[in-house]
Amino acid sequence: METINFVLSGLGGQGVLFMTKILARAALNKGLKVMGAETHGMAQRGGSVVSHLRLGDVKSSLVRTDSAHFLLALEENEAYRNIPFLAKKGRMYASASENSFPRQEVRPYLEKIGVISRSVPAADMAMDLGAPMSINLALLGFFSAFKEGPVGHDEFRATIDQVSPDRFKEINLKVFDAGFEKGSKENR
Amino acid sequence: MREEIFLGNGAVALGLVEAGCQVVTSYPGTPSSEILPEVVRLVKSEGLNTYVEWSTNEKVALDNAYAAAISGKRAACCMKQVGLNVAADSLMSAAYIGTTGALVIISCDDPGPHSSQTEQDTRLMARLAKVPVLDPSNPEEARDMVKFALDLSEEFKVPVILRPAIRVCHARQNLSWDTLENNEKKASFEKDPGRWAATPRFRLVLHGQLNEKLRKIAKKFDGLTAYNFHDLEPGKKYPLGIIAGGVPYSVVRDILDEEGRKDIPLLKIGTPYPFPDGLALEFMAACEKVIVIEETDTVIEYFLRDREKVLGRLSGHVPSEGELVPQVIYGLISKVLENLNLKPFAGNGDREAFELVQSLDLPIRKPTLCPGCPHRASFFAIRKARPKAIFTSDIGCYTLGLNLGAVDTCLDMGAAITLASGFYHSFDQDQVKQPIVATIGDSTFFHSGTSGLLNAVYNDARFILVILDNAITAMTGMQPTPGLGIRADGSKGNAIPLEKVVAGCGVDFIEVIDPYDIKATTKLIKKANEYVNDPNGGIAVIIARHPCVIAYREEAIPQPIKVTVTEDCEECNLCLDRFECPALFKDEELERVAVNQALCTGCGVCLQICPKGAIVEA
Repeated sequence: METINFVLSGLGGQGVLFMTKILARAALNKGLKVMGAETHGMAQRGGSVVSHLRLGDVKSSLVRTDSAHFLLALEENEAYRNIPFLAKKGRMYASASENSFPRQEVRPYLEKIGVISRSVPAADMAMDLGAPMSINLALLGFFSAFKEGPVGHDEFRATIDQVSPDRFKEINLKVFDAGFEKGSKENR
Repeated sequence: MREEIFLGNGAVALGLVEAGCQVVTSYPGTPSSEILPEVVRLVKSEGLNTYVEWSTNEKVALDNAYAAAISGKRAACCMKQVGLNVAADSLMSAAYIGTTGALVIISCDDPGPHSSQTEQDTRLMARLAKVPVLDPSNPEEARDMVKFALDLSEEFKVPVILRPAIRVCHARQNLSWDTLENNEKKASFEKDPGRWAATPRFRLVLHGQLNEKLRKIAKKFDGLTAYNFHDLEPGKKYPLGIIAGGVPYSVVRDILDEEGRKDIPLLKIGTPYPFPDGLALEFMAACEKVIVIEETDTVIEYFLRDREKVLGRLSGHVPSEGELVPQVIYGLISKVLENLNLKPFAGNGDREAFELVQSLDLPIRKPTLCPGCPHRASFFAIRKARPKAIFTSDIGCYTLGLNLGAVDTCLDMGAAITLASGFYHSFDQDQVKQPIVATIGDSTFFHSGTSGLLNAVYNDARFILVILDNAITAMTGMQPTPGLGIRADGSKGNAIPLEKVVAGCGVDFIEVIDPYDIKATTKLIKKANEYVNDPNGGIAVIIARHPCVIAYREEAIPQPIKVTVTEDCEECNLCLDRFECPALFKDEELERVAVNQALCTGCGVCLQICPKGAIVEA
């Protein structure tokens, strides 16, 4: 299998690592080899957090610029910041306003390299469901609706069920489902 | 067999328990902090009897592990690269004396640096101490190497260093593993004062023995094809080869494979010291030029004899600072290929995208103290009470007091206190009364605060020391402190009250306060200042005690207060600049500060800070 590269980004405390964990675990459950890189330490105190995930037979953990098939961002600016990682024909998913994303200045470049961007107001959705810290699951649900990655919706859902701590399981699945529904409507 | 995704530090932990390591000690520090907790996790799930401890500092950790290694047991101690500086005294001597069992020192490097004071290279410390060092290139290899390190240590009776860099420590990789068993080796210490307490005359003998061990290990490393290998075709000559070790090896291997470049041979050095000289000579002989790609300093590069052929840091082909991320390595190899008129890489570079991102003027996300963090309250009060002071501080979350204008220095562990006394004497010599307020965390104080405080009291320095006691080692991921009395495996130890330690250092002014009460804290700092300036006074220690909001949310904020900002806000920005709570932001539409309720913890501290009284209970 060709290696599939993910870059996941957001702010410290937003749950980039948990989102990466679900993606990695779901991939492993499918029998894929997993290699990833995380941010720990001082940057976790509200700084930009990026994690890399590579699925396939690789030795190194970092995604090179120009090489990410998928960029999943929990915050709009943290999506733009990581544009250099996007490969030609890559996909960019972000938690951002539907109308204004991506901002005008980056569109010509994204078009040139054939990147498709999609956004979902994951922060509002998570807040409305009473789980403001679950932007990550809303975005994952949204992402899973487009059937583009190596891991499908059901596999994600099963993994969230598997790795969520008991007291968060129900709400995590609820937010994930809301993201999925939103994506499914757009993907009709 | 089970398959699990391990953090690199978890892979190291797995290797340790698989190899029957009986004693594991550590002091937390990014990127090493997760090794010991991962050992604890495995020990608990497999019902093993491995002894684990969070030691008070790295030197203490090394000495404790070393005692096990001279009792015939298998031991490890884990730390970050600058932690090895603290343990250097032990390391140098332990190298000479050697072991009877096994000792692996795991010192994690931080090229970048992402979370460290320096980018120093542990391999150079190994060279200085004259102990073998292994340089893993990914988690799987780290797991394997840690076992080899213990075997090697036991075989040659010498401490061995494993140097995983941050991209090994904080990589994640799937690994399969099987049932784990206890190592039943019993402790036995054979008295031999000539060795264990060697005097200088015998140190010379020990030095000779160490050199002999290293000669033998070098020979072993030359033929150690598991970690040192190349892909030269016999008899073939190459215009360019690459020599790499550690994380950069993995990156180079992936790049060459992705680019399909079988015309560029690669030599991997997994054991940089003692250097596998024979293998390197063989590789160099087949190549007209070689690029050396290693992190973070020049070690392999110095060991290569034929300098004419070497392209690396010394020749300016490889950056001498910063992490060698894949795009940097890709770019530097590509450039050399062009210069040598060889086929360049296929990629066309990322310059356009970087320039685009740069033009967007994205907000710079500097790390900041968490919403509700008690340190924020302490810093606000300190600045308010002593605005003109020199603020010496230390290593931990509270270094972020920089953003609040309440941290002027951050040198090394414990230096809040030693710099404070140093500043005092420098100004006092000129008859200048310079106010000084030092801040240090509870864990850092236990690590290396006491010797500095003893010295400061002894030499009659005068300053205010605020110990920021949040009952946890927060920055590195919530490890317990001696003040808490909970041990690495969660069992009960003996809590050591900070007050007693401070009193034991000879301090007479010791007051405890909850920094959430800014008014009372400010008042106390002023009182402390009077004591400091009193001819019969001395050093004043304030223990600002409030639990970390991340570790103990409910204890820290038992009754959350909903906060809002009224129209009285005049946008003076004091709350944004001097308090800098992530939950407070400038609402451009309302033209005033507002509260992000998703981030707000309800600590209510901000109710005390607005000069216009515009921050109120909702």
